[in-house]
Amino acid sequence: MAQAAPLATPEVELTYEMPEQVTLFTDAWRRIRRNRLALLGGVIILLLFIVALISIVWTPYPTWLQAVGPTYSPPSMQHPLGLDAAGRDILSRIMGGALITIEVGVGSAIIVSLIGIPLGLMAGFYRGRVDTIISFFINIWYGIPDLLVALILVFVLSDALHLIPRGVFVIVLAFSLTRWMDVARLVRGQSLSLREREFVEAARMSGARDFSLLFRHIFPNALGPIIVQATFAIPAAVLFEAFLSFLGLGLPSPTPSWGAMAAEGYHGMDFAPHIVLAPTIALSLTLMAFNWLGDGLRDAFDPRMKR
Amino acid sequence: MRGTLLYIGQRLVLIAITTILVSSTVFLLLHQIPGNAFLNETRMSPQALAALLHAYGLDRPVSQQYISWVGGVLHGDLGESFVNRGVKITPLLIRETQVSATVGFFALIVTIGLGLLLGVIAALRQNTWVDYIASTTSVIGYSIPSFVLAIFGLLIFGHYLYIWTSGSFYYSPGWGTIEQIPVPALALGLPYASYVARLTRASMLETIRTDYVRTAWAKGLKARVVVVRHALRNALIPVVTILGPLTTGIITGSVVIENIFGIPGLGKEFVTSILARDYNIVIGVFTFYAALVGLANLAVDVVYPVLDPRIRY
Repeated sequence: MAQAAPLATPEVELTYEMPEQVTLFTDAWRRIRRNRLALLGGVIILLLFIVALISIVWTPYPTWLQAVGPTYSPPSMQHPLGLDAAGRDILSRIMGGALITIEVGVGSAIIVSLIGIPLGLMAGFYRGRVDTIISFFINIWYGIPDLLVALILVFVLSDALHLIPRGVFVIVLAFSLTRWMDVARLVRGQSLSLREREFVEAARMSGARDFSLLFRHIFPNALGPIIVQATFAIPAAVLFEAFLSFLGLGLPSPTPSWGAMAAEGYHGMDFAPHIVLAPTIALSLTLMAFNWLGDGLRDAFDPRMKR
Repeated sequence: MRGTLLYIGQRLVLIAITTILVSSTVFLLLHQIPGNAFLNETRMSPQALAALLHAYGLDRPVSQQYISWVGGVLHGDLGESFVNRGVKITPLLIRETQVSATVGFFALIVTIGLGLLLGVIAALRQNTWVDYIASTTSVIGYSIPSFVLAIFGLLIFGHYLYIWTSGSFYYSPGWGTIEQIPVPALALGLPYASYVARLTRASMLETIRTDYVRTAWAKGLKARVVVVRHALRNALIPVVTILGPLTTGIITGSVVIENIFGIPGLGKEFVTSILARDYNIVIGVFTFYAALVGLANLAVDVVYPVLDPRIRY
């Protein structure tokens, strides 16, 4: 943000309008407010969070409780989304699934950032050998079906080696270990260009150490694109979880994962389509909401790159 | 021309290295697993088991197994299946790759064809109802995962329209009829088609406002020539850059799609052999996937200079 230099009061009266000083976030908020699709996405995500929080303390029926009514029964007053093949209340399971979706999505976004940001900052800042090594990994990984590597990781870590029980954590871990490159690549680019800027040089001249240069001067200035990238990591992780659970390699059976629910409902699809429709629609809406918000954030944080 | 060939040669070497690195990682990961591939064979005598382990070379240390495996890969031999003993993996996977590639190819046609068409039309008719419909569809479409589309496709074409389709694309016992391709290919291609449409629309909107397109109109060229030869060709450049990741996406997506539709391709083999713990095949499929993704990315980079002569290798 440009700082206005203190001027001596001029003799002639000048009408000089001071540009209003706003922070990055205020500025972004003003832009995103005008983007209706991003706002809609935000509202859906807010709803998802509320539902997930409610599901911790209350669902209409326990998510695992079988035979609360006739199996396969279609939506009714008592069970707004009907019952599944084991007679479990689908509304309760969708609510429980919202919590899992958020755990997977937000957890992955955090871990991906924790790995990718320091590595990317260092690669761009130190260049040379550090950059070569990190960029090597990024480039190799760019041409690989990374989701399938993550799938193998989940399988080996939990099913074969029994190191980590099959659950949200192992999925988040496998996803993050194979996807930190996206964030690292972006941060590396930012760090490469920011390190040449005057404010970094000024900080260096006043004796700032590398660590403080990286995290107090370069990192805050790359925050906008990082937030955007982290937002896009959420739908990717959610999709990965659904993909795994749909194949039967993700969360184990009683867990109300939307992917697993779709896989269960898919077998009775011709006579009880509501079982498969509920989780797939919930999943698609969630992915849409995060993508819309991500698009909106990208436009808001980087107005030059209009799409 | 020689530069291009040299470039392709370099890339092929790089692809080979990447492929071996990736499949080595998977190899070493899977060989960390305790026990062996024949744990379920409880009725086998210890001597028979020992003979079997010896035949597969599983009684040797991992480092030796790894060396002989790399040697095999360099000769194009990926070993034998643990479950269906005696089945050579390389020919099996080549056969399955052809099936997967057929579906993947049509998915790619859907992606690029439909994506470009929607994108160009939306850009030419900007801010009309055509644009709004095309943009809305693409904004929704690229968030719907392909397996959800596959389920909807099955529900609509296999169930509600059963009389019309008579389930010909799904329930028939074998693979290989032409009716079986469209629904899986659409499910696989539509999410990416939406993405391509968005990208094309944005870059078309930029190009049709440039001076050279205005000049082309002013010269009195036909609309088709202006749009296709002057505008679209330049608008394609950002679209081509995402074709690499897009191919990776289609390959990943095909794993689920093939399992839903029962298509006997690489993706189905992948999941089946993971669940059956047929590790040799899992490693083999990975080798194929890594090579395929590498080659697809190479193909994209070779097409690039055709569209944009400024780029040369």
